[in-house]
Amino acid sequence: MSEQLPAIIVLAPMFGSLLIALVGIKEHRVCLPIVVVSILASLVSTIAVAQQVFTSGPIDYFMGGWEEPIGIGIHLRVDELNALILVVIGIVALLVALFSVGRMDRESEGKAPQFYILYLLLCTGLFGITITADAFNLFVLIEVSSLTSYGLVAMGSNRRGTHAAFNYVIMGTVGASFYLIGVGYLYMKTGSLNMIDIRNVLNSNAAIAESNAIIISFLFILVGIWIKMAFFPLNGWLPNAYSYCPSTSACILAPLMTKVSVYVMIRAMLTIFGFDWIFSHPFWSDLVVWLAVIAILAGSIFALAQREIKKMLSYLIVAEVGYMVGGTWLGDSGGWGVTGAIYHILADAMMALCLFIAAGIFARSFNATHISDLEGLFKKSPWVAAGFVIGALAMIGVPPTCGFFSKFYLIRGGIDAGHWEYVAALLISSLVNAILFFRIFEIAHFGNKPSEGHDHHAEEVTQIKAAWSSTAPLLLSAAAIILLGLFNGQIIELIRVAVEDIPSLTANLKL
Amino acid sequence: MLSKVFATIAVVITGGLLLYGVYDFPSFGDPNSPPNAGVEGGGESVSQYFITNTYKDTKVPNMVTAVLADYRGYDTMFETVVVFAAGVAIFCIMRVVGNANDPRKKEEEESVHSFTYGDHNRIIIGTTCRVIIPVIQLFGLYVIAHGHYSPGGGFQGGVLLGSSFILLALSSDLNSALKRFSEYNYFKLAAVGILIYAGFGLASQFLGENFLDYGVLQPLLFTDGPEMARSHSMLGVEIGVAFTVMAIMFSIYANLASHGTLKDGL
Repeated sequence: MSEQLPAIIVLAPMFGSLLIALVGIKEHRVCLPIVVVSILASLVSTIAVAQQVFTSGPIDYFMGGWEEPIGIGIHLRVDELNALILVVIGIVALLVALFSVGRMDRESEGKAPQFYILYLLLCTGLFGITITADAFNLFVLIEVSSLTSYGLVAMGSNRRGTHAAFNYVIMGTVGASFYLIGVGYLYMKTGSLNMIDIRNVLNSNAAIAESNAIIISFLFILVGIWIKMAFFPLNGWLPNAYSYCPSTSACILAPLMTKVSVYVMIRAMLTIFGFDWIFSHPFWSDLVVWLAVIAILAGSIFALAQREIKKMLSYLIVAEVGYMVGGTWLGDSGGWGVTGAIYHILADAMMALCLFIAAGIFARSFNATHISDLEGLFKKSPWVAAGFVIGALAMIGVPPTCGFFSKFYLIRGGIDAGHWEYVAALLISSLVNAILFFRIFEIAHFGNKPSEGHDHHAEEVTQIKAAWSSTAPLLLSAAAIILLGLFNGQIIELIRVAVEDIPSLTANLKL
Repeated sequence: MLSKVFATIAVVITGGLLLYGVYDFPSFGDPNSPPNAGVEGGGESVSQYFITNTYKDTKVPNMVTAVLADYRGYDTMFETVVVFAAGVAIFCIMRVVGNANDPRKKEEEESVHSFTYGDHNRIIIGTTCRVIIPVIQLFGLYVIAHGHYSPGGGFQGGVLLGSSFILLALSSDLNSALKRFSEYNYFKLAAVGILIYAGFGLASQFLGENFLDYGVLQPLLFTDGPEMARSHSMLGVEIGVAFTVMAIMFSIYANLASHGTLKDGL
């Protein structure tokens, strides 16, 4: 049984979605239990697999039993890098499923079963992207997750969401095709689609590794993934798509889509091409770090200019993507940049989840879509406020939240690599985040017009209670932020194994 | 204007890079190219393996089918899921459910009234289609069943089957097609298609092998050896693919043609 766990991680949500299509369309009540059970099945499997990986090394799973010679079948592989990310995907998916209780029928205009079908298929896609070791299979699952996310964005009554989804479709398709072209070029030169096999070829055959086609394939894979993760100049689709879609869609997409794309980039760099190969071409590594600096600054500045809560958070995600891309490309000899970037994938997934759930509660219970609508939040609803404040502090980078530690490791990498511009951008962005969130705190505590404070004190404060199904995921994600921060030492140790081992992983797999 | 200039520059750079990369490719049909002959340092050449071993492993003469449905069957299953997800996504975007005050629905009803039902050519069109539709469906079934031996398979056959329903909807109206193939049924059928596919995989898991390892299904399919079990299972999963593709083809047409109201259609 336990050797089947890698397959169960991907397949459980898929079977759940099929079950909803069969029985849930008429009986809306059964949808949510099916969603929760199938995601729980995945989550339990991810935890079991992760435990196995950290005690006894990477796990390989060959679809259809096609093991030898390598590359004829499809290879799933859980190693130290993706085990943690799988667990985080499971946790986020479960919390968002909880968050969707009671709001789906209104948000989806009576299409709740279809919403949940797409939701589970999105989880399937994200799990599949993370677990696979086959470059083409990765593309197929990118397709699954993108198509479902277009549907999730376009749903709902807000017509601007549909328009945003159209932009998203165009950009997403361009990104996926770039990735596919890159994989095609790679296959042309190496004759394999299996990531580890490709790596073996590139390692042992310098003539192929230095050929133009391989360099171009790397560029296309990189740019395609950048479009998917909304790296700065390519981020046009993101803010509107995440701001005008149903809250539940925003809560699942914002923490996971961009982060899984960052994972794909790190996977391509670590496993397919290898850091040695990438950093033996120094011209582009400096360029990408500068691009990341621009992305961080641009994301922060755009966020500062927003008055809508969700738009502001969306631009913060653009800045965070800059953190992770920059960290990965620092190329410091100790590997602290990429360690920080991987830790930041986990941390940012939780922070984005926390903040977007809070934004969803604001929109529903407080009817607040703009920053100025949050007047009196702290008194009206202290629990929601507490969750939001923890998310905000993590975004700013206050210890002991995980946001502090990820910035700490990223900055350490930046200093080691001598990329001071990146360190400066990180600090400036933290400062901007502080301004942003303290502005909100001020409004939430003192109101819009501090000079008229007297009247507010006289007013009777009416408590607004958000549903437990919204508050519980918010507080759980806030707790996760703090736990991730407190246990950062252990988590970093696990990530270090991945960063140090994967470059030499070819020896681990018998061929 | 400026954006067009930027777009042109981006397109030229992208195209130039792609062509520059193609220049570096092995020449067309080169037997020593990496995909054909393998590369030093990598595993055994994959296409060489398929050419020599496909028939031995699976007893399927059409190599493409064997690679698609067996060696890389996991990919194909998710391609089917992509089709299914596309259908559900279009339902989510287009379909008008319940809400009578939706402006799109009202508009649609008005246009229905201004639309004249049927026209005088209907006898000719109707009769022709009545003759042609069964032939299309029969051919679709042939394409599915013959995927092992000739070009064809679940996707192609499913498209043919789906197009026969679309032809029915075009020749009369959407309602008469929906009478034969209702919305509830086609969603169910689409899910059943993937369930058939994944069911073959799940069955092999229950028999103790990895997902989609059809060889172990031999006792369930009453075949002579694991090779024939693979061959039969491939036919099974192709049928599943055909179900999904057919249902989703028609569902996409129905939603697009009627602006999501499922009334009357084009």
